[in-house]
Amino acid sequence: MSTYLIIAGMAVVTLLPRLIPAALIDRLPMSKRVERFLRLIPYTAMTALIFPGVVKVDPERPLAGILGAAAAVVVSLIRPKPIYAIVGAVLAAMAVIAFL
Amino acid sequence: MTHRREFVMGVKAGLPVCIGFIPIAIAYAVSAIHSGLTPGQTVTMSVIVFAGASQMAAVNMLSAGAGAAAVIFATFILNLRHFIMSTCVMKRLEKAPLMARLGLSPFVTDESFALFTSSEALPGSPYAFLGLVAATYLPWVLGTVAGCFMFSLLPPLVSDSLGVALPALFISLIVPGVRKSARLFAMVVLTAALNTALSAVISGSWAVIASTLLGALAGVFIVGEEEGAAA
Repeated sequence: MSTYLIIAGMAVVTLLPRLIPAALIDRLPMSKRVERFLRLIPYTAMTALIFPGVVKVDPERPLAGILGAAAAVVVSLIRPKPIYAIVGAVLAAMAVIAFL
Repeated sequence: MTHRREFVMGVKAGLPVCIGFIPIAIAYAVSAIHSGLTPGQTVTMSVIVFAGASQMAAVNMLSAGAGAAAVIFATFILNLRHFIMSTCVMKRLEKAPLMARLGLSPFVTDESFALFTSSEALPGSPYAFLGLVAATYLPWVLGTVAGCFMFSLLPPLVSDSLGVALPALFISLIVPGVRKSARLFAMVVLTAALNTALSAVISGSWAVIASTLLGALAGVFIVGEEEGAAA
């Protein structure tokens, strides 16, 4: 099978989970409880994307990811704009990789 | 608020994602070219799939000689989490026309979902989401194009340290809500513990889906009525 056909297949199976909720969202009646559930998903989804994956940012130096994440937490408590947390985390990880 | 202003707000909110996307796009493109894909195939994948982790996995599988069905099935599993994320994004866009929702849905990523649903800072408008799309999709595609013409990866000092950019983005989106509510914090800790435990026994993509759903399900009972995100 040509590589382009494989890529097209990947596009289709990636598109479907993104498309189906767009088509159906206003046709499904939702209880208050389901709406509350959906409001909590952003927190749990982001948490699951961070932990434990962040430890493997540099597979040989788990400390880079751990201290990077810790720096992001500390900076976010002081400055809520994402860019500060990102810069703080990258600098912390860079220091670990450069010096440890 | 004008549509133009909503769009600009979306672009501004999405710009920090570039710091994370560009090095990943370059790393993906360099390994795609290295494993025998043409620049045309490499860029096409970024244009029509737009899902970083699965693109990287596909390239690794193809270079290891995996068949079409295996690659496509792995892609499906890796990206299934977007069903949950798209549901949250579309819930916020419920009042938008069907065509706008359908047209925006291919651009639901971990990052556009996170930025769009985790705070009230962005209006729940299709124009704001379109702004996020512009600020995330274009760097992804352009980073891929750039990577096709690079002979080697970025040095590890740069690429590995930039690898914390997207986790840091998510952390900064979680912290403001969590510092206001001990119950929300408890749900987040529970979810992290659940995902760490589950990913030791099942594959990472299933663990993310299961802990996202179970964490929020527990949250319905733990967290109070008014707490939670914008969606």
